[in-house]
Amino acid sequence: MKFTRRTALAASAATAATAAIAGCSSSSGGGDGGSGGGDIELTVATFNEFGYEDLFAKYEAENPGVTITHKKAATADDARANLMTGLAAGSGLADVEGVEVGWWAELLQYADVFEDLTDPELEGRWLDWKVEAATVDGKLVGYGTDIGPEAIAYRADLFEKAGLPTDRTEVAELLTGDWETYFEAGRQFTEATGIPWFDGAGGTFNGMVQQLTHPYETADGTPVPLAENADVKAIYDLLVEYKDISGGMTQWEEDWTASFQSDGFATMLCPPWMMGPLSGNADGVEGWDIADVFPGGGGNWGGSYLAVPSQGKNVEEAKKLAAWLTAPAQQAAAFAAVGAFPSQLEALESEEVTSSVNPFFNDAPVGEIFSERATAIEVQPFMGPNFFVINTVVADAITRWDGDGVDPAESWEQALTAYDELGLA
Amino acid sequence: MTASTRPTTSSEPSGPAPAPPSRRTPASPARTARRSRLARLDMRVTPYVFVSPFFLLFFLVGLFPILYTAWVSLHDWDLIRGQGDFVGLANFEFVLGSDNFYKALRNTFSIFLLSSVPQVIAAILIAYVLDANLRAKTFWRMGVLVPFIVAPVAVSLIFTKIFADQSGLVNNVLMGVGLPAIEWHSDALAAHFAIATMVNFRWTGYNALIFLAAMQAIPREIYEAAIIDGTGRMRRFLHVTVPMLRPTIIFVVITSTIGGLQIFDEPRMFDTGGQGGASRQWMTMTMYLYELGWGPQISFGRASAVAWLLFLIIIAIGILNFLITKRIAHSGGPAKGTR
Amino acid sequence: MQSTAAIEQFAGKGAARAARRRLKGGGGVDARPRWWNYGLLAVILAISFFPLYYALLLASSDAGTIARNPIPSLIPQGNLFSNIGEVIGSDINFWAAMVNSILVATLTSISVVFFATLAGFAFSKLSFRGRRALLLFVIATMAVPVQLGVIPLFIIMARLGWVGDLKAVIIPGLVTAFGVFWMTQYLDDALPFELIEAARMDGCNLFRSYWHVALPASRGAGAMLFLFTFVGSWTNFFWPFIILRGDNLTLPVALQQLQASYFKDYSLIMSGVVVSVIPLLLLFILAGRQLVGGIMQGAVKG
Repeated sequence: MKFTRRTALAASAATAATAAIAGCSSSSGGGDGGSGGGDIELTVATFNEFGYEDLFAKYEAENPGVTITHKKAATADDARANLMTGLAAGSGLADVEGVEVGWWAELLQYADVFEDLTDPELEGRWLDWKVEAATVDGKLVGYGTDIGPEAIAYRADLFEKAGLPTDRTEVAELLTGDWETYFEAGRQFTEATGIPWFDGAGGTFNGMVQQLTHPYETADGTPVPLAENADVKAIYDLLVEYKDISGGMTQWEEDWTASFQSDGFATMLCPPWMMGPLSGNADGVEGWDIADVFPGGGGNWGGSYLAVPSQGKNVEEAKKLAAWLTAPAQQAAAFAAVGAFPSQLEALESEEVTSSVNPFFNDAPVGEIFSERATAIEVQPFMGPNFFVINTVVADAITRWDGDGVDPAESWEQALTAYDELGLA
Repeated sequence: MTASTRPTTSSEPSGPAPAPPSRRTPASPARTARRSRLARLDMRVTPYVFVSPFFLLFFLVGLFPILYTAWVSLHDWDLIRGQGDFVGLANFEFVLGSDNFYKALRNTFSIFLLSSVPQVIAAILIAYVLDANLRAKTFWRMGVLVPFIVAPVAVSLIFTKIFADQSGLVNNVLMGVGLPAIEWHSDALAAHFAIATMVNFRWTGYNALIFLAAMQAIPREIYEAAIIDGTGRMRRFLHVTVPMLRPTIIFVVITSTIGGLQIFDEPRMFDTGGQGGASRQWMTMTMYLYELGWGPQISFGRASAVAWLLFLIIIAIGILNFLITKRIAHSGGPAKGTR
Repeated sequence: MQSTAAIEQFAGKGAARAARRRLKGGGGVDARPRWWNYGLLAVILAISFFPLYYALLLASSDAGTIARNPIPSLIPQGNLFSNIGEVIGSDINFWAAMVNSILVATLTSISVVFFATLAGFAFSKLSFRGRRALLLFVIATMAVPVQLGVIPLFIIMARLGWVGDLKAVIIPGLVTAFGVFWMTQYLDDALPFELIEAARMDGCNLFRSYWHVALPASRGAGAMLFLFTFVGSWTNFFWPFIILRGDNLTLPVALQQLQASYFKDYSLIMSGVVVSVIPLLLLFILAGRQLVGGIMQGAVKG
């Protein structure tokens, strides 16, 4: 699988923490179905790599009279800003807009500006949680494109030094269990080698918090006061307990990027789209592998949707196109093109996906592994309108002790103050 | 501001303009009269037409937005929904009750001081070195100005690599000679210093040229007198040159206040996240404004409150500067600097 | 050296000789600079150039080498052109950003020179009611932090449908208070009234006087204003960062996007930096003399 985009997006809009969650993958949009009457022009706005370029041509060929214009933003950050402004202006959006899963947190409160895409015929096309994340009051506002099921990427050569198993099946066995199992293995590793177990507490926190059904807000969007948020505090405390095995680095920063070349750490949480940045940063380093395991069950990080803004002129044609692009066959083709990991049940079982291997990761059968990880996911966390502001507060608190050397208890106190200052209650 | 105080001695009569006696084509009296009328209209109206583009544009993209900012700041106003309820001063209360505001204020002033003070000193020293009868004068002057043409974003990208905590140039050199590494990002003061260094890199040479011009305007007789008195080089610099530069120093400080307090590019690019660190240890006022308006809160109301507060601070400092300048101009030396 | 002549007259030859020696010797007013002047200047220049040279070093290396060693080499390596090629061909449309930057900077600079000279001509050479007050107003606006009006400006641009459009960056920069002030001052000194009178005698209306007399007369100051505006526009980040989108960026915004990329390749980022600096560096080599002269003539600061 080719996953060498050099310029996929990184940080989502506001913050590195946001970026960590919003992660992302590819999404891009497509063409429009030619209908019988006259010429139809559709625009599709995407970001990063969706691998839809060939599909547009195919759609145009199959639907005479349809022309597709592709507007591709270089980063998700940029695409988000564009979408927000277009919504603000009430015009200027593409007929089909790529939406990163993290943006729903902000966008679902404006669900009325998107078309309802509910279609009985498409029921059962996607993984349940993928659909739920884009459904508000029974209205489906986006068709799932790709997902980010997380596995564990690890350095087999360093594992060997520490006397840990190196084979990916054995590693999976070793790490199966809850987060403590993962951290305990890490402690053993770090004691043996002196090398940190994972890259940083922030990135790890991100994987853990996304396993909660309602991380920061109740189902109706009411924020849970941080001081009363036992789930998040438990994660925080657990990370503090294992702070000695953290590399202390913030993802996407200079030091993190450089640390791939200097044995900076031995494992990291890895969704499919992370393979690109990882193999790029670790270019020339041998020993990376991927194990079919994730602490605490399954977890998702990133992935996108196609939405149809109501302000468009050809919403019906746009819906048709969005449905076609996100059909299993097309997503399997997109996977083959750029590695966007499909969210469609049928595509997950397709030959293109299951047979794919990644040479950088010691020829790991990544298609099979991530398909397996995808089915292990049970929840897509609820992200209400305040998700990012609260998550930033907690992520900052973690960075303060993980990277900046502040006392964890004091840092938590600061987070509580910061939460109060948000004035959400 | 010499232009404003120097009356233009217009030779044009403000009364009826004399009919232009055409030298080339003798005109009929009727034609001359019409031309004279036109010419009068031209004299009366055209000056306003000439200056109007600036005023039109300034009202449209300068004054109106600033006033409108005050209006937005009194509302619940979000990026997507636009204008919401009138909320009075609630946005100001939010901002003034937030730790981040004071952090941003502290950081902005700290970065400003760390950039302006060393910068003025270094610029004066460089100007002093340049103020000699050098060979290839222009080459040296252009040389010190080169950093000025590099965009702050580019400067910041380079220095972010130089100041990276573990993989950076400075820390590797420090550790190479057995010194402890500096925590460029987690330590607030160190971060401010790093950011101020970027500002200094770009502006010191520029200001050195301004000081150089001011130094060259100092009457040579004053130096000669001092030299003949046997005053040493050092004393001459401290007791003749520097006092004569006072108006220029004030000018440089004032102009850098307006820009310096709005600093955004360098701290925004100091890390990838761009929010100014986990403790907001290098978040400036303009970054705070941006985060409130375009970040996850998408609150134009709160962002406008910050904009308006910063606006008031800058205006207040501007007035203060003006008053100080006035006093010094009255008591100061004869050199008017470069104005 | 009249002063030494005076000394000779009043204090005798010995004193005059001593005074002359002091004047010529170390640090005299017109003394020949010593070696340390050049030495210091060389050090200052080295500091000015070092970050750019460092960028060049990184730009000519590769990501892995940079990650392993903060000083990848002491002289530039061979990857510069392939890295530049890669940046220009990347998703972040660097080439388009370069064209946009040239377009924006050129248009705003020409416009600023045109309108500022026009207003400067009126302010310095024509008499009209309210002239003084209006000029004072122009000067006062230089102290107004207009950048703080970004929120309404953004709202306006969104209404006009100009978000992501270069117009949104060009139009607010078409004329500046600094430009008006600068040209007013210059023309005040440099343009004799006789010339305008002569033009009027020839039947020129005011615009023709401007076009045929004032504009040509302000060539020197205009060149400086052009350069100064060009540099300001080329390096401007905050507003373009807010308003520009997608594949329609200017260079500083494109650089920011490069940094925000998923896979951060420092050799590519620095290649972007090098690419963004080269055009202005060339312009500077050609016309930097004027910029230096301009900065020294007027106390200007952007």
